[in-house]
Amino acid sequence: MARYLLTRLGQALVIVILVTLITFVILHFLPGGAARAILGKEATLEQIAAFNHDMGYDRPLWEQYALYLQRLVRGDLGYSFQLNQSVAEAITQRLPKTMVLSLASTALAVVIAIPLGVVQAVRRNKWPDYTINALSLLAYATPIFFLGLMMIILFAQVWPVLPPEAPQGFTLGEVLADPAGLVLPTVTLAVLTVAVYSRYVRSSMVDNLNENYVRTARSKGLSEGRVIVGHTLRNGLFPVITLLGMYLPALFSGALVVERLFNYPGMGLLFWQSALKRDYPILLGVTLLISVATVLGALVADVLYAAVDPRVRLKASRS
Amino acid sequence: MSLLRLVDLSTDIALRRGAVHALDHVNLEVRQGETLGVVGESGSGKTMTVLSVMGLLPPGGRVVDGQILFDGRDLLAMAPEELRRVRGVEMGMVFQDPLTSLNPTMRIGAQVAEPLRVHQGVSKAEARERAVEILRRVGMPRPDKIVDDYPHQLSGGMRQRAVIAMALIRSPRLLIADEPTTALDVTTQRQILELIDDLRDEFKMAVILVTHDLGVIASRADRVAVMYAGRVVETATTEELFQAPRHRYTEALMHALPESAQGREGRLYSIPGLPPDLSQPLTGCRFAPRCRHVTDACRATDVPLVRAADDHLYACLHPVTEAVTFAPRGAGDPRPSGASDTLLSVRELVKEYDAGAKGRVSAVAGVSFEVRAGETLGIVGESGCGKSTVGRLVAGLEEPTGGQIVLDGTDIGRLDRRARRRMHREVQLMFQDSYAAMNPRMRIDGILTEPLEIQQVGDPAARRGRVTRLLDQVGLPTRALERYPHEFSGGQLQRIGLARSLALEPRLIVADEPVSALDVSIQAQVLNLMRDLQTELGLSYVFISHDLSVVDYMADRIAVMYLGKLVEIGPASQVVRAARHPYTQALIDAVPSPDPGHAPSRATAIRGELPSAIDPPTGCRFRTRCPLAQDVCATEPPLQGGPHQVACHFPLRPESAAARP
Repeated sequence: MARYLLTRLGQALVIVILVTLITFVILHFLPGGAARAILGKEATLEQIAAFNHDMGYDRPLWEQYALYLQRLVRGDLGYSFQLNQSVAEAITQRLPKTMVLSLASTALAVVIAIPLGVVQAVRRNKWPDYTINALSLLAYATPIFFLGLMMIILFAQVWPVLPPEAPQGFTLGEVLADPAGLVLPTVTLAVLTVAVYSRYVRSSMVDNLNENYVRTARSKGLSEGRVIVGHTLRNGLFPVITLLGMYLPALFSGALVVERLFNYPGMGLLFWQSALKRDYPILLGVTLLISVATVLGALVADVLYAAVDPRVRLKASRS
Repeated sequence: MSLLRLVDLSTDIALRRGAVHALDHVNLEVRQGETLGVVGESGSGKTMTVLSVMGLLPPGGRVVDGQILFDGRDLLAMAPEELRRVRGVEMGMVFQDPLTSLNPTMRIGAQVAEPLRVHQGVSKAEARERAVEILRRVGMPRPDKIVDDYPHQLSGGMRQRAVIAMALIRSPRLLIADEPTTALDVTTQRQILELIDDLRDEFKMAVILVTHDLGVIASRADRVAVMYAGRVVETATTEELFQAPRHRYTEALMHALPESAQGREGRLYSIPGLPPDLSQPLTGCRFAPRCRHVTDACRATDVPLVRAADDHLYACLHPVTEAVTFAPRGAGDPRPSGASDTLLSVRELVKEYDAGAKGRVSAVAGVSFEVRAGETLGIVGESGCGKSTVGRLVAGLEEPTGGQIVLDGTDIGRLDRRARRRMHREVQLMFQDSYAAMNPRMRIDGILTEPLEIQQVGDPAARRGRVTRLLDQVGLPTRALERYPHEFSGGQLQRIGLARSLALEPRLIVADEPVSALDVSIQAQVLNLMRDLQTELGLSYVFISHDLSVVDYMADRIAVMYLGKLVEIGPASQVVRAARHPYTQALIDAVPSPDPGHAPSRATAIRGELPSAIDPPTGCRFRTRCPLAQDVCATEPPLQGGPHQVACHFPLRPESAAARP
């Protein structure tokens, strides 16, 4: 198992380095450049040249990249002149808030999606299946900004029960002190995820219900509820684990829109603002973080899988 | 007294349009303490009958008429709650495929004891204890450890024992076994069938044994019901059925067995055509279109079951009256084969697979044999013995780790890629599951033409002509060319598979379990065809099968493999009737004979499980399970003898004079 983990971590490292390389190259070929963004429209060419020289932006790209990696190894993600703080600091301030949003919406989505998927599988090709299917397709097809706007109009204006804006607290504690403000962003983000998860749960449960071991379970005279909950559900939920690992980073793109919409000072909003201002160090830092999250998400899913599926457990310990 | 009685039971399976009438007024009776065998081919309704009883019909399935009387109570009129109790407490079922009939993520003990927990409210600790106890009773090794294992940690035979334990833990009054051994090897099959027999007596249960295998029925059942196309066509005591069958279908089934072929050159009787489509309305005897004795009356009138003797019913207007000569075939004369040249010579063939940290899997360990032109070499052995790997190596699908494959005097290993590819035209494969082996989106035309195109044989017109001739050779109409694989039945697909392997005019066909997935009547058609083509085209076959009776019928010589080693090779009649290796003898004894008088002796049965091929026993690999093993068996016995060679320190008998040239 330890060997398996080490191999996987090694692979993960390679992928993360590749992602930084690609991001680095792309950012540096974008028009505009950091200097203009920081020094303003009035800056002279000499000032820009001096700035670029100070920052090392006039050196060859590979040299810049090498320097970047060198700093990265020391834990230095760079410095944002526009925010006037280090990238690491900017991220650590905002990351917990985005994580609260992602985890809350994922938990909500899972809690809703699993029963929906199970109902669909058990009543497959009957009206409950068709109804849920239609609704989840609708949810899946609705752009997230539109959904968020509708939420605000419905629950903050027409029927004002919830605040239209996310909590603006600076620390995590302050944010959590205002749970009502988190409801709309969390629900908005969860709706899309429910649609994805419930489809997976449905198809996986349908497959499992057709398995021979379900027939064996029925032959013991078990009630249908026990057949489904006691036998099929555990096997049917395996794909959801993979999905959780794969989907957690993808939530970030949803967070980008939702945070902007509800003005929630998390990673999404940070990325959005930095992109507008061409704040390259921040953009690089955030991209790096997302790639690490993606790779780790997949790894955690695999390890989790091994923990719940005895068949995988055996293979993992063998290799 | 009857425990279970089916009265006019009719079951439908709903289709998108209409329904399949899977069962049509089935009447059956199972008495306390007896084993009722239900036999029939696929689609005969034998499985649907027991699934109707258990209330486990597939989606769309519904009992539409009749009664299922269990101990006098009609199950169909019962409330769902009560029905579940009857099913969970008084009945138990064993399924065909032990590999998939256990929940993969639930410990064996929990699954086995679940009926007790649910229906009798037994505590967790006690349930575990009872599970260990019943696992021990069904012959599970180390039951106190197995109880906490997961299904994938067990072999197929052990899993089937677990399923049986699960059925028995509730001390049922009726045990239903649906093809309980079809997915298992013969030696395991024997252990499982004996277990069911013993337990029936011990628990005083009634047993319904559903199978397609007349041999299994003959040795285990007290009474037999023969089903065809959703109806019971004949019921009788086992002895009576095999000695004096009345229905023409029963007779045909027995004649189609490879064991009943008359003489070595004899053709098998094959039932022409296919069973009827049960979604269509049918009149008259359902077997009429395929029957040798059909008259107009058979097609026009519904044929009822009539009584032949006290316990013998049949539904046939022209029943068998002549005495059936059903005697297992004696030793035939070996075919003259001395004169022909050696086509394939395999020397010290070795194949190993990497198994990661655990080491290497020794799949084939130094196997040597020859195949002469026009000859059939049968390779038999249980799963994991390496017989299929040998086939794949000979056909060039895999590279050997060591040894030589000499085809027509040329060592294939020494050829360059191009030459080797040309050589492989001479050797073609035929698979067990032809459907899986064909691209489902290609028409038969494309499937048969492709090998010709790849090997650049002739121009398009010539290829077209060749393909048409091929279809003709395997007895399919030309219009089959325009159709897709899914439109054909299993037997037809094997014909197409054979046509494809013939396309390049090979001299040797490696047939890997070519008839294992087919019903007896269809199997006979394919075997006959393979023999005809051999005579016509002078082909050689390497015929790989787990089924000794099929190999005995097809092969001139038989090679027996065990765990990667060749343990015995010789003329077919000698190997089967005068086996020299204890493993061969055990294999032969394990095959259930379709002759009720032939009681299997328990002395020669091998016990235990096949050792791992990663770290096989040294010396004779069979010694860990061999009743005759001595210290000397730790050294490897050489394969020795004349035409009938054996690799054993203590051969059962000397080479018989008949085997010597």
